[in-house]
Order: sequence, then structure tokens, then C-alpha cells
Amino acid sequence: MRQPFPDWIRRKWASGEGFSFTKELVKELGLHTVCQSAHCPNMAECWRARTATFMILGNVCSRDCSYCSVRSGRPEPVDGDEPGKIAEAVARMGVRHAVVTSVTRDDLADGGAAQFAETVRAVRAANPETTVEVLTPDFGGDASCVGTVLDAEPEVFGHNVETVERLFGEVRGGRAAYSTSLAVLRAAAGHASRAIVKSGFMVGHGETGEEVARTLSDLLESGCEAVSIGQYLRPTKEQRAVVEYVEPARFEEYEKLAYDLGFSYAIAGPFVRSSYRSEEMMQHGFANRSSSRPGRRVRSRDVMAGEALAAQAGEKAP
Amino acid sequence: MTYEVKLPSLGEDSVEEATVSYWLVEEGDQVKEGDDLVEMTTDKAAFSVPSPESGTVLEKLVEEGDDVRVGDVLCTLET
Repeated sequence: MRQPFPDWIRRKWASGEGFSFTKELVKELGLHTVCQSAHCPNMAECWRARTATFMILGNVCSRDCSYCSVRSGRPEPVDGDEPGKIAEAVARMGVRHAVVTSVTRDDLADGGAAQFAETVRAVRAANPETTVEVLTPDFGGDASCVGTVLDAEPEVFGHNVETVERLFGEVRGGRAAYSTSLAVLRAAAGHASRAIVKSGFMVGHGETGEEVARTLSDLLESGCEAVSIGQYLRPTKEQRAVVEYVEPARFEEYEKLAYDLGFSYAIAGPFVRSSYRSEEMMQHGFANRSSSRPGRRVRSRDVMAGEALAAQAGEKAP
Repeated sequence: MTYEVKLPSLGEDSVEEATVSYWLVEEGDQVKEGDDLVEMTTDKAAFSVPSPESGTVLEKLVEEGDDVRVGDVLCTLET
């Protein structure tokens, strides 16, 4: 028998018409999706609704994070037709908010930034009404790569910090660093683009509530405005074990904490993933405001950490 | 007409097998399309498998604790 799950870790295993449509289209165009590669538990729901998160730059990652089931190894050559195929899939599926992510490509000089930019442009050209969200790797912290992606003007720039600072080494592995991920977000926030800067992380790796609060503060300080928090679920037995199934009430506390700290948009829950129902953020009032915002509020890490602790203690943050 | 309820494929590279946790229906029960039939467990989460059709549960072909693969028949329905 497999391990039992708490009763809130339950999804539907169903296909149906919309699901089959999405599945056949992804197969026909030879696309990769993080839905499949990460064994996402939300896949049935999203695919039935004819949406998916496209994974560009191949299906093989140059990193080997201990939580992730995407294949690691020597990546494939970049497919020049890929941006056009993604654009076609978005059009045929009728996706209103397209999310594009990728494997990490340490082997490419630009980390795949140009392919991201081409994909954003291709999706936009074929689907003028569709908003585009990118979820990028860390590009080794190279701000020029972030700039290349943002020059294509996606509505949302996402880069996930994935876990708290203390657990970063064991969850993400050697080449990644917490400070690098914050630097990527800072570079995005400092770019002239009007993109909403978003990040996300998993809980359930053994982090404390205080560490979650500190991570939220670090993200805010880096210019991040939107955040998602979800439960880590082990894709297969090859990945690291779940340390804790965080109760739904604690996710509600984390979401409230994020808003209290100053995030414009926050979503937390056991099945929340950075791209799960991400179009809902675009309907949120702040997403419209964001397109004409004059500048970002940047506060000191110490001030925010103090606020986080106060909020944790149930007090009103100053 | 007899309808075979199979564990649906979620696509290439996706989950291919699961363990039967427990049945939510008995043979002879009337079910509507979308009613949950059985609870399954993968490495990642628990999943309920909804009935793809309305009908009467004829025969349950897998038992609690069985490992099943995508495409395996879980039960039959008289539709």
C-alpha cells in the first residue's frame, strides 16, 4: 500500500472531452507541459478546462532539484519552431491567459531567454487578446537575460523561489541559490517593463512559520508583488519525501500574512501552484492598476521581518 | 449495454499507475455520470475516479490494495 494522505490531499482522476482535446493537441504539436512532467495533481481540472502550462526549451533540465520529476541531463537542441507551436496551441485551445515556463538551460549562453521572448511575441501576435505569464528559471542571476524576456512585454514575470532560505540547498541543489532567485526578481522589478512580478514557493519541506514570513518579506523587498504558496507533493518515489502536510487553515493564515505584509495579490492552498488558475489574478483589480503603476514600494528587510513577526503574533502590523 | 470503466490516461509522461484505496459504490448501486466510484492513491495524492457514464454498477474488477495501470478496467456498468 502507498502512504495515506490527509483528506484534503484529494483530486479527481478524470478525462472527458476537454481533457482529450488538450491531450491530443499537445501530442500533435509535440509540446511539453509541466502539467505532465511534474505529475501535477491539478492536471485533470486544468486540461478539462482547456488550459495547460507550456514548458519550452525541451523536456530535459540541466539541473536536478530534489523535489522535481522533470528529467535531468543533457538538454536537447532548441527548437526554432517551438514559439510558433505554442502560439498555435494557445489559439486552438482558446487560452485567455497563457503561462509559459521552461526547463533550466545552463548550457545556453542566454539561459533560453531569447526563446522565452520569441514565445511571448509569437503568442501575442497570434492571440492579441491573450495575456502572457512567463515563469522563468534563474538564468544564473543574469539581469540581462531577465531584460531580454521582459523586453517582449509579458503581462506577468514569474520566478519561483521554491523554498525558504535554510532549505534551499537540499531542495534546489548545488547550482541554485536563494540570493540568485531574489536577484532575478529584483532585476525584473527594476526593469522598465510594466510586468507584474510574481513568485511562489512550496511548503511541506519542514520550514517554520517564521521562515515562511521571512521568505515573504524577502520577496516583497525584492520587488515582488504577487505570491503563490502551495503544498509540496512528491511526484514519484525518486523525489524527496514530504515532511509535512500543511493544514488548510495554515494556508489561509499564510495568505492573510502575505496581504498584511503588503503583497498586492496572494494565493495559498494545498493545491495552489504558480500557474494554477493564474488567470484569476488578471481579473483581480490590482492587475489593471499594475499596468500604469508609477513605481514600486521597496521597504527594508528588517522592517518587514518585524512586521511579519508582529503579524504572526496576531498583532496588527505597523 | 455493458460499459467498461477504465482508469483514464492523463497523457504521456504523466502518472501511469495507482493503488486502489477503497470503493465508494457497491455492485448493484445506481450511479450518475460524475459520481465518484473509487478512491485511488498515487505517489503524489489521493484521487477519486468519477463515473464517466450513468448506470448500474455490475461488477467491481479490482480490489482494495490492488495496483492498477492506466487503461485497466476498474468496474463494469449496465448503462
